[in-house]
Formats: sequence, structure tokens, C-alpha cells
Amino acid sequence: MAAVTYTTSELMAVTAARALQDGQNVVVGLGLPQVAALLAKSTHAPNLNIIYEIGVVNAEAFDPGVGIADPRLWHRSEYFTSSIGALGSILQKGLVDVGFLGALQIDCFGNLNSTQVKLADGGIRHFTGSGGAADIATFARNLFVIMKHEKRKITASLDYLTSVGLLEGGDSRSKAGLPMCREVKIITNLCVFGVNREQNTLEVQSLHPGVTREDVLANTGFAVRFAAYLQTTGIPTEEETALLRTQIDPRGLFIK
Amino acid sequence: MLMGGKVRQLQDVVREIPSRGAEIALGGFAITRCPVAFVNELIRQGKKELILYETIGGFAADVLVGAGVVKRYFYGGGSLDKFGQLRRVNEGIENGTLDVREYTALSINLRFLAGSLGIPYVPSKTLLGTDILANLLSKDNEAVMVKESPFDGEKYVCYRSLQPEYAVIHAPCADEKGNVVIYGPTWDEELAKAARKLIVTVDKIVSTEFVRQHPEMVVIPSLYTYAVCEVPYGAYPTSVYKAYDYDADVLSAYGRLNHEQAEFNKWLQEYVLGTKDHNEFLLKLAGMEKLAALQADPVFGYARGAQ
Repeated sequence: MAAVTYTTSELMAVTAARALQDGQNVVVGLGLPQVAALLAKSTHAPNLNIIYEIGVVNAEAFDPGVGIADPRLWHRSEYFTSSIGALGSILQKGLVDVGFLGALQIDCFGNLNSTQVKLADGGIRHFTGSGGAADIATFARNLFVIMKHEKRKITASLDYLTSVGLLEGGDSRSKAGLPMCREVKIITNLCVFGVNREQNTLEVQSLHPGVTREDVLANTGFAVRFAAYLQTTGIPTEEETALLRTQIDPRGLFIK
Repeated sequence: MLMGGKVRQLQDVVREIPSRGAEIALGGFAITRCPVAFVNELIRQGKKELILYETIGGFAADVLVGAGVVKRYFYGGGSLDKFGQLRRVNEGIENGTLDVREYTALSINLRFLAGSLGIPYVPSKTLLGTDILANLLSKDNEAVMVKESPFDGEKYVCYRSLQPEYAVIHAPCADEKGNVVIYGPTWDEELAKAARKLIVTVDKIVSTEFVRQHPEMVVIPSLYTYAVCEVPYGAYPTSVYKAYDYDADVLSAYGRLNHEQAEFNKWLQEYVLGTKDHNEFLLKLAGMEKLAALQADPVFGYARGAQ
């Protein structure tokens, strides 16, 4: 049998999807997080509840949208609610297992910046800001991030701390008064970072096929730790790539 | 047009708003249900130094900031979704000309919630450990404090109640009493209920008999509503679920021209200051053919094939 062919973004989506468990409640935004959640729901996690912070639960979009404010993403929902309904009574109450976020920058503790970056001339460039991201990072039991692996993005120090991951490691998160965060998982185009339980810091837990430790070191802005039992990221199955290409993202809007 | 009950002309309601320093909470979210007709009329009537509040900033707020009429902006972040960034807002933050108070979608809504409940504050763990909180704490008169809970001794951020002078939301329909029907998610429900005067622009005024047939669709009952203005396509070029779609051509063009103040000024002059009301704005920016094409499919709630 011929080997399954897949692209890097397909591998990232599949890796993220496999990290979701059946019956979990997940808050996602547009893009690869949404693709990953839908793939999980179409395969091993049919009882996944997918929540959009605008106040939409378990939509079944028929047409692709431009963001969570696009009614295309609200099609065939099970429930509509308000800001407090979604981010208060669902998220703050503690019903969310996984918060799935993107970011401009991330540091070695999984803290995220989606607000602004410093420019070389001393100025700043402001972007979207938090939206619900900081709230999600506060209350979701597990924090997943999908992002491109570049030195300026996976960085030693954030230009702005929008959303808290492990804060400063150790017990700093609970000392700051925040609820426990069980897992921070960062899925890049090179590897998967997870939490080292003893240090409460991030470490590389799997390298994507063909990627070396040197590739990760060369593209990361902080001193990288590798897990004692470093694994190779599992590759997509034919079923998964077929679902992505024919049902979940047939126009290739998010999967390249 | 029905003119009984709380039904008013948009221009007349806007005329009532103080010419300087009015406090207004806006109900849109990025590119959906933004109160565009209302915001354009604020600009035409020369209102200035507005204090704006919004859950997620979008098209309407970017136009207001670009027009130079916003003094202070409280919001939970914002964008035009895939169509771009709020460059007028962001540039104001970058060069310090806009006094911005950045919250998050939950934290600003906890302030609205406290306002709607008539209580002084709501405690929450959200924003602990962030630069967002550090920035808010460093501003004068900011409405957040970190305190220990008297019950569990845990650290909480106390979010002070907010009852803005006005809230302005756009909805598909309301009756003349001001019972407001919204289809889809209702992210603006808390701010609408927190305000002292709620102004609702609607695409269509429906009969109270329609409301009595569908009371479960009323998100905001009449007792909150100060005025209802019938403005067909009042959220255009943003969408209203089950009524009409966003205009992707206009929004993607706007997401480029809002990078430069000079380009934005030309757009504002042409379409907002150069038109006398929302009907003229619609005819100039969209035209009848485009408006017809954006009509929502009744099953999907948006215009299939329009984009």
C-alpha cells in the first residue's frame, strides 16, 4: 500500500483533532482550530460540543465563513446565547475542557500575545486584542494553540501578555489567583510542545516526521527543552485526509 | 411607516443626544448587526468627544474613530474578521490619539451585567496575571480593583457596574412598543439591558400581534426600550442574520482603505458626510441590485452565493 500523502497543515489539523476527546466542550475560533474540532467530531469525538464565543453552540456550517461573526458559521446551531451566556455561564462556570487559540506571540510558558507588537523604531503595532482569548485562557482546563513556528513568534519575551498560559511556571499561576490549567499544547508546523509536569514549563514532546531538534532550535526564540521520551508526531490516516479535503475544508481555505 | 408608541425618526433621536461627551454602548460585533445608520447620523450631526463602549469592536466603531469623534473607547478587542483590522482604532492606539481602555469580551460584559442587575460590581478571576489588567489598573478612574473574596479568601478582580447613558443596538425587528426580536446569538443583550436609555434601530417594525405570537423570540422586552427607529438595511454593510448578508466587496475595500487616514477621509466624505440619510448612503454605496442580492435565504439566514 502506498504511503498516505499529506501537507504540513493537514498534519497540524490532524494532530490537534486527535488531542480532543469525545464528550469534551471546546471553544474555538475560525481557521485551523475550527477545522481540527470538526475533524475530531467527524471521527473519534462525535459528542464534542463546539462553542463560539459570540454565543453559538454546535453549529453545522454548510458554507465557509470569514469569521465567527459570519452567519455562515451559525447554521444549524443547537443553541444561541449572549456574551454572559457563552463566556460566563459556560466558560467561567468551568464547563470548557479545551480553549483553542491563535496568537501573534507565545513564550516558553505558553503565555500568549494577541494585542500588540513592538516595532524596531520604538513604536507599537496594535492588532485584534483579546476578544474572548484572555477569558478562555483563564477558565478552560486545557489550552491548545496552533501557530506557525518562527523565532519572532515563539519568543523569549512577549511584547504584551494578553492571555495567561503557565504564567511563570511552577505554582505561579495558582499564586496569581488563577484556576488550574491542566495542559498547554502548542502545535506548530515543526513540533508539538506540551507541559513538563515536574518543571511546569513547556517542552517539545513530539517532532513532526522529518523535523530535527536543530530545526526546532533554529526557529525558536527561547531555550528549548526536549522531553526525555521525544516522540515522532503520528501521521494522518487516509480517512482523515479524505475528510479534510472533501468535507471539512473542500475549498482549501484553511488547509494548504 | 408606523409611528405610534416608542417609534421615532432616527434623525430626531440622534438630535436628542448631547453634542459633546455622550456615553454610548454600541451593539455590533465585528461585521454583524453594527448600528451603521445610527453611527453615520451621529457623524452627520457633528456629535463629538463620544465615550464608546462595545463588546467586540467592528465596522461602526472604526468609522466613528476615523471620523475623529471618539474621545474614549472601552472595548474587548475587535476586527473586521477576515476583511481586516480596525486600523482607525489601532492607529489611534499606536499614536496615542485615542484614549483606549482595553478589556476582554467577558470582562466588559461583567460590567454591563452588574449594570443590568443594579449591583455595584461583579467579581471574576478573568484578567488576573495579564497586561490587560495591569494597563487598566494604571489608568485614572478605572473601574477595576483586585480584592480578596470575603467567602473563600481568593483573589478576584472586581468589575464595577456600568450603566451607559445610551445603548444603541440594531435588530431585525421590534414592535412599536419596543419589544425587540433578534435571531441568532445575542452578544449585545447585557449592554442593552445595562443602559439608561436603549435606542434600537430595526430593519422592520412588526405588529404587537406578531410579538404575541412569538414571545420566545423577544430578546429585549419593551420595558428596557427608550426609542425604536425603523431603518431598513440599518446595519448595512454588516449583516443581520435571517435578514441580509454583509457586503463583502464593501468590507474588503474598507479593510484596505482604513489603513490611511486620507483614504478614509475620502470615503467618509463621499458616503457619510456626502449623503443626507441612510437611504442615500445605501443607494450610493450599494444600489438596489446589490441590496436585493444580499437578501437572506430563509433557510440559511444569509445570501447563498452572494459572496
